[in-house]
Amino acid sequence: MITAAYIHIPFCEDICTYCDFCKYYYNKKFILPYLEALDKEIKKRYHEEVLKSIYVGGGTPSSLSLDELRILLKILSIFKINDTEYTFECNIENITEEKVKLLKEYGVNRLSIGVQTFNEKFLSYLNRKHTKDLVYNKIAMIKKYFDNINIDLIYAIPNETLEDLKEDLDNFLKLDIDHISTYSLIIEEHTILGNKKTMPVDEELDYQMYQLIINKLKDYEHYELSNFGKKRSRHNLVYWNNEEYYGFGLGASGYEGNTRYTNTRSLTEYLNGHYRIYEEQLYLNTTIENYFILGLRKIKGINKRDFKKRYNIDIDKIDIINNLIKQDKLKLDNDNLYINPKYLYVSNDILVEFMGVDYERYIC
Amino acid sequence: MKQQNIRNFSIIAHIDHGKSTLADRILEATGAISEREKKDQLLDSMDLERERGITIKLNAVRLNYHYNNEDYLLHLIDTPGHVDFTYEVSRSLAACEGALLVVDAAQGIEAQTLANLYQALDNNLTIIPVINKIDLPNADIPKVTKELVDTVGFDEKDILLVSAKTGVGIKELLEAIIERIPAPKGNINDKLQSLIFDSYFDSYRGIVTLLRVVNGKVKIGDKIKMMATNATYEVTELGYHNPHEIKVNELSAGEVGYLCASIKSIEDVKVGDTITLEDNPCIKPLEGYKPMKPMVFCGLYPIESSKFPDLREALEKLKLNDASLEFEPETSQALGFGFRCGFLGLLHMEIIEERIEREFNIDLIATSPSVVYEVLLTDKSMILVDSPSKLPDRQRIEEIREPYIKTNIFVPSEYIGPIMELCQNKRGNYISMEYIDASRVNIHYEIPLSEIVYDFFDKLKSYTKGYASFDYELVGYKPSNLVKMDILLNGEIVDALSIIVHKDFAYPRGKAIVENLRKLIPRQQFEVPIQAVIGTKAIARADIKAMRKNVLAKCYGGDVSRKRKLLEKQKEGKKRMKMVGSVEVPQEAFLSVLSMEEE
Repeated sequence: MITAAYIHIPFCEDICTYCDFCKYYYNKKFILPYLEALDKEIKKRYHEEVLKSIYVGGGTPSSLSLDELRILLKILSIFKINDTEYTFECNIENITEEKVKLLKEYGVNRLSIGVQTFNEKFLSYLNRKHTKDLVYNKIAMIKKYFDNINIDLIYAIPNETLEDLKEDLDNFLKLDIDHISTYSLIIEEHTILGNKKTMPVDEELDYQMYQLIINKLKDYEHYELSNFGKKRSRHNLVYWNNEEYYGFGLGASGYEGNTRYTNTRSLTEYLNGHYRIYEEQLYLNTTIENYFILGLRKIKGINKRDFKKRYNIDIDKIDIINNLIKQDKLKLDNDNLYINPKYLYVSNDILVEFMGVDYERYIC
Repeated sequence: MKQQNIRNFSIIAHIDHGKSTLADRILEATGAISEREKKDQLLDSMDLERERGITIKLNAVRLNYHYNNEDYLLHLIDTPGHVDFTYEVSRSLAACEGALLVVDAAQGIEAQTLANLYQALDNNLTIIPVINKIDLPNADIPKVTKELVDTVGFDEKDILLVSAKTGVGIKELLEAIIERIPAPKGNINDKLQSLIFDSYFDSYRGIVTLLRVVNGKVKIGDKIKMMATNATYEVTELGYHNPHEIKVNELSAGEVGYLCASIKSIEDVKVGDTITLEDNPCIKPLEGYKPMKPMVFCGLYPIESSKFPDLREALEKLKLNDASLEFEPETSQALGFGFRCGFLGLLHMEIIEERIEREFNIDLIATSPSVVYEVLLTDKSMILVDSPSKLPDRQRIEEIREPYIKTNIFVPSEYIGPIMELCQNKRGNYISMEYIDASRVNIHYEIPLSEIVYDFFDKLKSYTKGYASFDYELVGYKPSNLVKMDILLNGEIVDALSIIVHKDFAYPRGKAIVENLRKLIPRQQFEVPIQAVIGTKAIARADIKAMRKNVLAKCYGGDVSRKRKLLEKQKEGKKRMKMVGSVEVPQEAFLSVLSMEEE
């Protein structure tokens, strides 16, 4: 049963130096054709389920003009909702009071704002065009309409110090917002930073920064590797619980039935109605691998009963898990299997162990 | 064929002096291979040989040549050019009456050329000196001619000038072979005496031996006996290579060919042994046979412990072709089950390792090579130790002796200084030095073999910008002040990293190993100390920092496939690692004791 949808809006007014998501420079003449194509895709593929979460991401969805935004929201109003978390991503530069009002009018109830940093030196390094003051002004405006807000923060930017990060976190705390996602800057290939052969910060510093974040955000629940909230994001939990979701739009990924798919990143292809570029029918073993890879991102980890219910496997029968528990890397209590907080930072090294295991032989 | 019209010869040359090209050209000139069959270096049949440009296994080819209205049979017996295979060279030379000594027109005589030449002279062969590559722009024929005259004592008029590449001088060369090399002397009516100079394994016919009939003759159906092993067989097939196999009914005195007798055990067929008839044996075997003794030992372990049976099978198969390879199972606490393997030398070791990885697809960990030590115990008994882990307790040791070699280092005289410095650093004792010509010398040192095994070749290259050529012979065992040095990872001895080292060199080497391991072993989930220890005394230490790396990247739109790719890559990297206690150690680390810069 699908209960969530991700919708991708690939347009941006400026390209961030670290971004390797699917994006195009904002160009008026592509917007309406794109929205039309998106409308077609949704109508063709959506089966009228009631959605518990809708997430509009990008790109920069807030780069659309007021009129374009209205068209988008009308298209999305086809989704059946009931107590739904409806999130919209915005950038500080182009979110306006009119747009905020319009979003609210159409039922959006959560905004995720790409602040990335308050430090103007690093903002320009990342090619973000806002200023610290603008962040304060816009957030104050948004808070008049929304109380469910997330802020994205990037750390481990080359030359950033612990002191710089501390300042960023203090600035965030001053805003009194309920949710924050913090991401260590990854220098990916085919990004501006990648092309410049930028070197990441020292591992040790990266580690200290992560510890600093955990310390500074003590009043928030650290519920997932990179997420802290007084209220959890329902949409992200869909991913981490390995639940099904639609992915609509250019470059979007989705998971339906036992198929994971990714849409094309070519605008021309997409406008011609050729959506999918990649599709994979998952073997049960892969599904279970994904369940672990995603589920163990959560600090509380995986629920034993949920696992048993889904796959009819007793989690404590799996040898690799018992080995990792013996090595103190995993913890198992009455309800949950989770990564020892001491080793959270090297979770990849633990998740690797879940790859290539034959889980099917443990089925009761 | 009349025995007077048979000529058996081989080619001796330094690596890269064009031996294989020359052999190919001779094959072409005698019509043994057609244009269509030509590929570079036809005689080097293993991929590895062609790639490395060296001959590892011998081959023998029969050629027909018409000269002065007579038909001649020429047997070309190819020899490996490397010092590791000196014994094989000597046996194939023993199957000949003559040899071509090939010298590069630009490079001149090299260390190996001389070593092999002396072997040929020991076997009383007629030598035809050949200067090859005369087409090279930097060929210096007068200089090389002078070298051959002054150092070896050839007559200038006997030296042939050839370009194997262009074919110039090949005809004259073939004529010289017929004119100068004597016909085989054996008596066809004597009792059978034939020399095994090589063997290989064929899955249908068993062991195929290559042999030279010295006296008498051998026919299909004959009952034969190997004189060194006393094994007896019935001959099922005889033939020669042209270079394709041609079957014949008998081989008689003077001829070279192959023999099959459904032999399954390589142990029965020893290179250098004599084959005779079981019911009418010759009185004594041909001279020169000696069992081959491996000089260099190392442990080979599969990275995946489940591949241990596969590794055994691989070694057994390789041994079918290579009697000099020795192996026995050994267990390492760090690496699990593996084999202690003995090789003729470093190149031999590298070749075997590479063939196991390539042809049998087994990822290997090789421990650092060791020589064989003689250990005199306090109770006056003597044991041989080929692995640091087999070294007895220090209290029980009276004295440790190690093998020494004598070097031939050919080098332009401006490098005398650096070479002497290098040899002193390698615990060498100066013996003598000879001038080959005005600008080149041959330097003799006595050096422990273990130092050669260590990093001597690399150092020699870098000290002389690649201008030195090097060869050695074993001179015997001498007492040395040696100790065993252990390496501890996270407080535990890793037996596979232990080495035997001279006491005076232990400190810098320990420091270098520890430092090198620190660089090679990736960060672990906790801090790992590395220590070098002699007895109970730590002499060097370094720490591997705890791993800090993680990727807290945004999981874009729940796109798990990217995350999976990352994890799969990481997993692939882990496969090349071996769990040693609780530490993941990469393959290269086990050889790190070899490849390092000492301060």
